[in-house]
Amino acid sequence: MSVIELDDVVKRYESGAETITALKGVDFHADRGEMVTVVGPSGSGKSTMLNLIGLLDAPTNGSVYLDGQDVTDFTEDQRTEERRSELGFVFQEFHLLPMLTAVENVELPSMWDTSVDRHDRAIDLLQRVGLGDRLQHTPQQLSGGQKQRVAIARSLINKPDILLADEPTGNLDQDTGRTILEEMRRLKDEENIAIVSITHDEQLETYSDRVVRLVDGVIQS
Amino acid sequence: MAWRNLGRNRVRTALAALGIVIGVMAIASLGMAGVALQQQASSNLGGLTNQVTISPGQDSPEDGITDEQVEEIRSIVTDAKVIAQKTNDTTVTSRGQEAHVSVTGLTQASALYDVSAGESPERFQSGALLTNSTAQALGLELGDPIEYDGQLYRIRGLIDSSSGFGPGGFGELVLPLSALSDQQYYDSVTIVAADGDAATDIAANLETYFNQDGRNEEEILSISSYASVQQNINSFMNTLELALLGIGSISLFVASVAILNVMLMSTIERRGEIGVLRAVGIRRGEVLRMILTEAAFLGTLGGLIGALCSLGVGLALFNVLTGDPWLVFQWESSRYLVYGMAFAISASVLSGLYPAWKAANESPVEALRG
Repeated sequence: MSVIELDDVVKRYESGAETITALKGVDFHADRGEMVTVVGPSGSGKSTMLNLIGLLDAPTNGSVYLDGQDVTDFTEDQRTEERRSELGFVFQEFHLLPMLTAVENVELPSMWDTSVDRHDRAIDLLQRVGLGDRLQHTPQQLSGGQKQRVAIARSLINKPDILLADEPTGNLDQDTGRTILEEMRRLKDEENIAIVSITHDEQLETYSDRVVRLVDGVIQS
Repeated sequence: MAWRNLGRNRVRTALAALGIVIGVMAIASLGMAGVALQQQASSNLGGLTNQVTISPGQDSPEDGITDEQVEEIRSIVTDAKVIAQKTNDTTVTSRGQEAHVSVTGLTQASALYDVSAGESPERFQSGALLTNSTAQALGLELGDPIEYDGQLYRIRGLIDSSSGFGPGGFGELVLPLSALSDQQYYDSVTIVAADGDAATDIAANLETYFNQDGRNEEEILSISSYASVQQNINSFMNTLELALLGIGSISLFVASVAILNVMLMSTIERRGEIGVLRAVGIRRGEVLRMILTEAAFLGTLGGLIGALCSLGVGLALFNVLTGDPWLVFQWESSRYLVYGMAFAISASVLSGLYPAWKAANESPVEALRG
């Protein structure tokens, strides 16, 4: 069974008097242990699609299923709970909090949750991405590649089913990008999760199990 | 976390906290100034607030207070000391020096006169009391004789010249009542009650008895108590205190607008970050709490520093106005430090509410876009 599924999803935005249809009936799914890359030119609707998969936004029409559960009409608070437990995010700009150390950034999603102690898992994850000796460094003291590894560790802290990556290599040089992608593939197998990335980076395609092309809000292949 | 967020822009945090510091200082210092002024005013009235002074009224048929009236007063006032006095004035000479003094004759000196040397007798039948400064001017000491109306009186006590109002500048010679026996009537009666409230009650009773019952608004005896003066001063001081606090509150209000601005700026600046927090599953309530905590920290920090500074101001104020700086720690004035802090924290949290609500309720997609 697919861990995430979009069924005939349409997303429209009102922009002033104009209505923009970003997604025009998209069908998509991703399975556990699968790395899927969505590629397409700027304005093709990639980010919109990632927002819908990531439960950051709700579709105008169509349905979204998470682990077989229809989450289309979830309220913002329900979506927040699903993101908290099922999803992980990696961003192009890393988005680490500058005043927190690496290990604190990894623990961030569970920082308010006193019921679980994720400190050990945070250290374990940082060690697994090769930052065992950078636990107490702040983002300022880390290189771009190291920051993205911290971000990846953060996205896995809650043992998600899906990791969503928005241009994960966009701010990295090619070599660093490659090692990050290798890292992601390895973690995907270790944690048995689905990874959905959107990118312009052709290098990413070679690391993917499947590539989906999106043009003008319609999936081409 | 909230604390570290504040640490990120130290200048801005410091400026916002400074606003609170000034606000708290304004409230606490002005409040304490009011208390200090009030206490200074009370201490200037000294021990007179529990006294009732009676003198002949303008409609009195006699030129003074009669023995019968004193007896009537004594029968009405049973739980306070009633001291009838005859007064005069004279010039005393000694060793070529002379001084003009007022003369008071009474039978009980201890209740009205504090002496710096010698004694102030309870039953006053012989000897004399003299104002310390006059004694010095005349070169007189305890035990020396002083002459009044052809009679010599031995000085038994020197009156502390700074106590109470007294006839300022003039010296005062206090003699047994018998020394003024050629005066038929008493000039005044002083009643020493337990406290200001008792004095007010006594004054009211006497007023009713002598000047109202069965009389046509005549003033037979003029009855005044300093307690009512004290009450007037107190009520004026309370008004003054309120006005001062009002001014202080305005500055704290300005400070909370500054906090509102700082928190709003800081949440707008961190919009993307808050978007990330929301994306990784931080609940709206948790974002709200984080920002409110930052605001509360700001308020506490500013409030604490402000309270400490105000304490310094208060020590100085009390030192100047009442002469005892440690009086600032009595609850009556130190409560303004607590009020100031409480006000600072609640004003900060209140002004943090809108920015926090705004940040927490923004759609994560919009926020992530930056």
